[in-house]
Amino acid sequence: MYHVKQADIVIIGSGAAGTMAAIYAHRVDPKLKVVVLDKSKMDSSGAAGRGMDALNTVALPPNSQPEDVVELLTKVTEGVLDQRVAHRFGEICPRMVADLEQIIGRGKGDLFPVDENGNYRLMYLHPINKPLLLPMDGEEMKRALAHAVRQTGAEILERTPALRIVTEDGKVCGVLAMNIRTGHYYYIKTKAVCLTTGAAGRMGLASSGYLAGTYEFPGCSGDGYAMAYEAGAELVNMECFQANTLLKDHQGPSCGYVAAPRGAYTINPWDQRTWSHGYSSGDSKMGVWKRFAEGKGPLYLKMDHLPEEMIQIIEKIQWGNERTSRGLFHKGRRQDYRQADAVELAFAEEIGVCGGHSSSGVLSDVKGATNLPGLYVAGDVDGGLPQSYLGGALAMGGLIGEEAAHFAGGAMEPPQRGGLKAWLRKEAEAFEEPLRREGGLPTSLVEYKARVRVQYYLKPPKNPVFMQKAAWWMERIRQEDLPRVQAVDLHDLLKVQEIKSILTVGEMMARSSLFRDESRWGYQHWRADLPAKKTEWERAWVVIKKGADGGMEASKRLVPEYQWDYPTAMEYAYPELKFDTGPMFQKGPEWKNPSGDPWMKRHLDAQGMDTPRRFMPKEED
Amino acid sequence: MSFINGVRYGEKDYSWLDFDHGRCVRCGVCVDMCPMDVLHFGEHGYPYMRYRDDCWYCDVCTFVCPRQAITLTDVPYLIR
Repeated sequence: MYHVKQADIVIIGSGAAGTMAAIYAHRVDPKLKVVVLDKSKMDSSGAAGRGMDALNTVALPPNSQPEDVVELLTKVTEGVLDQRVAHRFGEICPRMVADLEQIIGRGKGDLFPVDENGNYRLMYLHPINKPLLLPMDGEEMKRALAHAVRQTGAEILERTPALRIVTEDGKVCGVLAMNIRTGHYYYIKTKAVCLTTGAAGRMGLASSGYLAGTYEFPGCSGDGYAMAYEAGAELVNMECFQANTLLKDHQGPSCGYVAAPRGAYTINPWDQRTWSHGYSSGDSKMGVWKRFAEGKGPLYLKMDHLPEEMIQIIEKIQWGNERTSRGLFHKGRRQDYRQADAVELAFAEEIGVCGGHSSSGVLSDVKGATNLPGLYVAGDVDGGLPQSYLGGALAMGGLIGEEAAHFAGGAMEPPQRGGLKAWLRKEAEAFEEPLRREGGLPTSLVEYKARVRVQYYLKPPKNPVFMQKAAWWMERIRQEDLPRVQAVDLHDLLKVQEIKSILTVGEMMARSSLFRDESRWGYQHWRADLPAKKTEWERAWVVIKKGADGGMEASKRLVPEYQWDYPTAMEYAYPELKFDTGPMFQKGPEWKNPSGDPWMKRHLDAQGMDTPRRFMPKEED
Repeated sequence: MSFINGVRYGEKDYSWLDFDHGRCVRCGVCVDMCPMDVLHFGEHGYPYMRYRDDCWYCDVCTFVCPRQAITLTDVPYLIR
């Protein structure tokens, strides 16, 4: 069955960014028709489906300023950013934090910690001498945001992944989607699209071999990257890979950003620490990689030196928030945070790309607008604002909701697509072809092959031969295996679409890596054949887009002129295979976190290890 | 690669979620909320892991169940 709808704004993906986009669009003009699409369920989808324990990077005066965010991001991106976007993000952090408290319904000092003066109690983590990390007790965040979106009156289509962003004359005019439980197709004519589909996080395959054993939410298979690319959008930094230090096999965050500001650090079995700061930037990744490369792994997150009270606080955060199965996982492995070797860490088991964790995604400007009129991006699919984590998704998600509302309010009706019914039938027939095959390749088998190739060939250190082989494999699987893949039902049919996205993103990663003929961002774009930075690549993006001939087209573009003169380099020296990577970041006298955590201690005393069910009331017997 | 096999599982297949049929009232909250579309109703209307290998062990189902009828007994076999 085909449904044709008309909207002012379609939001693709209702994670943190998408829900905020819906809420803010409604604030600009409650009369706008907003349709929210999610391949999953709005209340639980995305990276923060079970909450989040911090806004990793935010500017909250008086303790940190928008310029501090610019300083940090200029440094950790080694100069490859639009500083205006970073500053805009910093400017709107306070309203985002206040909104979150209001939407979740928890007052100041409860959801986020405040100090004795009533200011947000930020912590030090980053390789600059400013506190930018705000802890959060945010288990119920997604359910609260979903509740707020429903109150706007937006039409919400869940289990309905977008399959295609449709353009006409280079402008966004519609979105094609299909419900994986009913098989119904939706074509939504629209003036604007907010693309908030998250990272390309189901790319490389971890050594456990478990396909859903991903760090990012496994629904985030790069669909937004691929859809934007196919529609003609420009993507940047696709060579700046995401590679994390994670809980071995579980692939959840270790979680350094919880434990490090509270006194933990990373060591190997010989008590050698890995790096001076706990932030996951290219230099620290290089430090971790070297430990393993020199045969000096595994690594552990060391917490046994912390007071019992602090260990319990860390347990409460780690087991009650974000990836709550960590507690069960540790129990199964007989791991206890009170032992030095309790938390075994693995590195770079999944190579992928992400805006919020690294810098990769659809290029956007200070309004979240892309090169396609009507297309806005925020969150992990956004390459315009690097390394902004959840705070960036929430703040910029709200911003693009506003911008899309202004755009849609002033734009003409979307162009009417001629022969719509015939086009829809053709699209549906092509999409459903794997359902009609018999004796074909199982989707899991093809996904396994694609992701193993991604992991093997794309994992740094890079060289041109590996990158060319990666691109060759993506094309080969596209040409030879996709025509043979068989889907057993609609749920399985979505996998075919996701595999296509993985292949497109994998090829973009390879081609961008080939084009940037230098090394930059430590481990993240380490070309073993060109192990140094080049002057001509200072302040320059690799832009990748679909070329006129249908192939990928890479080009170089300088970032907009700087407004703030901050260092564009980390302290470490560029790679040689020895542990001495040069001078580390030097912490200033202020770079020190308090030894106690009265805010979380209060939660621990009141709740024990239970997590309050604020949006999901429990029935009594 | 024997673990790369079927996509759909039966109600009696290996699973790391335990559904207490004595407590479950078949309300469907878990089926509705599972972010990976893993849970579906079985023959008698009780939820089970139809798409087991898509489970992200996120624990949403156990948290949202109003009857506390679901237990995450383990993490997936390949990562435990």
